Amino acid sequence: MRVIVIGAGEVGFNIADILSKEGNDVIIIDKNEERLKDVAENLDVQTIQGSGSSPEILKTAKLDQSDMVVAVTDSDETNIVACLLASVQSKGALKIARIRNRDLNKDSTIFDKNHLSIDLCINPERESVNNVMNLIEYPGASEIIDFAGGRIKLAGFHLNSVCMAVGKKLQDIKEMCKEHDFLIASIIRNNEPIVPSGKTTIEENDYLFVLAESENVLDILKFFGKDVAPVQRVFIVGGGKTALLLSEELEKKGIVLKIIEKKQNKCEILASHLNKSVILHGDGTSQDLLKEENIQDADYLIAVTNDEEANILAALLAKQLGAKKTISLINRVDYSHLVSSIGIDGVMNPRHATIGKILHFIRKGKVISATPLHDEKAEAVEFIALETSEITNKPLKDIKLPRGTIIGAIIREDNIIIPGGDSIIKPSDLVILVTLRSAIPKIEKILTVKLDYFE
Amino acid sequence: MKVKSILYILGAFLFFLGLAMIFPLAWALYYGEGDLKALALSMLITMVCGGILYFSFKPDENITLSHKEGFLIVATGWFFAGFFGALPYVIHGVLPSFTDAFFESISGFTTTGATVITYIEGIPHGILFWRSLTQWLGGMGIIILSIAILPLLGVGGMQLYKAELPSPVKDKLTPRVTETARTLWIVYFIISTVEFILLLFGGMDVFNALCHTFTTMATGGFSTSDASIAHFHSTYIDAVITLFMMIAGINFTLHYSVLVGNFKSFYKNSELRFYLGITLIAIIIVTLNLRSHIFEDVGSCLRYASFQVVSILTTTGFTTDNFDQWPALSKTILLLLMFIGGSAGSTGGSIKCLRILLILKHSYMELYRLVHPHAVTAVKLGKKIVYPETMASIWGFFILYLAMTVAASIIMTALGLDMMTAFSSVAATIGNVGPGFGGVGAASTYSEIPILGKWVLSFCMLAGRLEIYTVMILLIPEFWKK
Repeated sequence: MRVIVIGAGEVGFNIADILSKEGNDVIIIDKNEERLKDVAENLDVQTIQGSGSSPEILKTAKLDQSDMVVAVTDSDETNIVACLLASVQSKGALKIARIRNRDLNKDSTIFDKNHLSIDLCINPERESVNNVMNLIEYPGASEIIDFAGGRIKLAGFHLNSVCMAVGKKLQDIKEMCKEHDFLIASIIRNNEPIVPSGKTTIEENDYLFVLAESENVLDILKFFGKDVAPVQRVFIVGGGKTALLLSEELEKKGIVLKIIEKKQNKCEILASHLNKSVILHGDGTSQDLLKEENIQDADYLIAVTNDEEANILAALLAKQLGAKKTISLINRVDYSHLVSSIGIDGVMNPRHATIGKILHFIRKGKVISATPLHDEKAEAVEFIALETSEITNKPLKDIKLPRGTIIGAIIREDNIIIPGGDSIIKPSDLVILVTLRSAIPKIEKILTVKLDYFE
Repeated sequence: MKVKSILYILGAFLFFLGLAMIFPLAWALYYGEGDLKALALSMLITMVCGGILYFSFKPDENITLSHKEGFLIVATGWFFAGFFGALPYVIHGVLPSFTDAFFESISGFTTTGATVITYIEGIPHGILFWRSLTQWLGGMGIIILSIAILPLLGVGGMQLYKAELPSPVKDKLTPRVTETARTLWIVYFIISTVEFILLLFGGMDVFNALCHTFTTMATGGFSTSDASIAHFHSTYIDAVITLFMMIAGINFTLHYSVLVGNFKSFYKNSELRFYLGITLIAIIIVTLNLRSHIFEDVGSCLRYASFQVVSILTTTGFTTDNFDQWPALSKTILLLLMFIGGSAGSTGGSIKCLRILLILKHSYMELYRLVHPHAVTAVKLGKKIVYPETMASIWGFFILYLAMTVAASIIMTALGLDMMTAFSSVAATIGNVGPGFGGVGAASTYSEIPILGKWVLSFCMLAGRLEIYTVMILLIPEFWKK
């Protein structure tokens, strides 16, 4: 597949990285020469310097021969124009654009086939707000990913010493928690994914990914020693676009909100949009202000200013002053490792969310969605099993899967099966598997090569 | 520094180099002149050494290389090529001294064409074929060939590609580096085939046609006879070889665009125009100069002048006449051409037209700025601005190139050579040209140079072929600091 990525920022870079490592031909267009140098040094892709909304540049990038255009520059307008040019020059290409503007997002009809014809519009803020809402709904988890339209959740969380599962083997844990079916899909230890088997022992500070039915997730989190009391009071630091989106969602859930914003005019905008929340004009990293507003009673503090370092500081401060949990908005992947070790409970990463969303969309065949897990070393894939596929109609233990791949759940009609070695995947079952990034091309082969033959 | 990965890649590379010896082996078998054993043994040694490195350092995961490692692999890879490529000469005994054999071998791979063999006709065909083949392999780049053929490098390939590609602008033709490397080699192969067929039409036998195709396309300059191309006494062959030297001196990216039907980018290329312009002017001056001194008729003047100008400018180094006897003006022109060389991204060596062109433009811009102190200016290449950083790297290259020439010339004169021989031998080796003037002129060889001198010149050839930086970077202590 030939892919043109417009914009070599963090999102563009990561998308290009993933796609080129999976064997696609990737061309990156950006105005910034420096940025492109960095890209050319680190990735096996072609770089073109110039504007992504210039027909001339797109022609040199051989847009007419490309299968996909991903426009992820900072400017909505450039992204839209690039996609528009793409639909003129190359009829069949898949078009993906990052659109930040809320007003544009509301009126999605302009993006449909008859107008701009953009196949996927992504609003990073919206995506990350959705992720945070999942966390609020399932307190205790550090990340929650939806599968099967939300009926199955993949929960990621850190283990601390309170957890009674620490030091036990996986097969024993299964015995300890009989009432709920769940599957430990992946364990991240020291930043490296481990493929769990029955004999793997869980250690303190492991980061677990657990697959389970939505209604059981809270109980399972409780079993692993997580505090799952429902969220009632939330602080938000920062009053930009993200904060507004987030507040609106939280208000709908009836959560008591306090928003702290430095700038007077931003406070006014917030006040005009929100009805129930308390809007405070001040500094989110000021100890006095936080104390004054009873931060010790807060269930969550979510720091979403534009300043990543300030977000981390605000979260740490709040934690020290007694906030139960904290989430920081952090765009840089480099910081993500750090966060959990210094005691921040969750990360809101709009770029990561964007990358995830794009990956969901571009996986081939009958794969419904795919989500990168934990710094993109592992990935969860959701797909429909085909009759002709190698994996159907035989016990799981007989299936040859690439190293590091685990079948996490099978959904047959209305039943959710958390599989064991003897389970069998039947045609048209919905299957969720967790695998290492390096095994993705092989997985795609197993799942889709037969598909071409079938159709 | 990932020593294991480096050794593993070098192992694969050596194995592959050994494999290439199968071709001269076939010729040795065909002619049966007693060089079979030497070639077979060299092949075995090279492949076994390569195999041992390859299998004992096979990594578990994909290799990613930093650019430091890229430089190290390319420089040592070329050194290994020189070392193992010398084995056939030593084992067979045509060049019993290892210094001579290494000189000949590195002169082959770097497409210099400077030889220490005094009686070429006496060399068995198998070894002669190996000698020409080393040039062809080195022409487009042995590392680039390895990237194209061995699928063991992903991102690392880019670092190697950049360290070997003879051009200040390291663009890729296609999104994937293996694909780019393959494309370049395919273009190289196609043009070589055309030349081979044309040479056959000129009455050359298959062996000579192949050898000369190899050394023309690589702008190498090894011939199969002492008299070089003059041996054939054919205007047709002179013309064909002149044409293909010219072609080999053009950026292969441009050849690619012509092959895929994009003629516009070909004739609009400003480096190409500059290259053609220099060739034309030099040919006219030398022709006029020869007319009054050496040859009587204009036809001969033009024939010998154009052949020699193109041969020296593209850094090939073939000869059809002893240009050492030519008048001073012609000799000066030829000596200066040695410092210009072919286009960037061609198989030609030396400083390259692109750099000279940009340096001239930059110098003009400085003058312009003196006239208009407030003018906003930029060095442009076609429609694109050349960034000051690129410009600085070009100036750096230029200065280093000259500094190395000066330093090596001083060493050569210290070894007792006369001034012209010393200076031109350095200019001809660092520029990968081949023949120089005086003691290393068209009618002589490098066999009389003292041993230390041969090593200095070998180093010059390697540094010249890898565009100075790749070799020099290994010599500064900063590179080895952790």
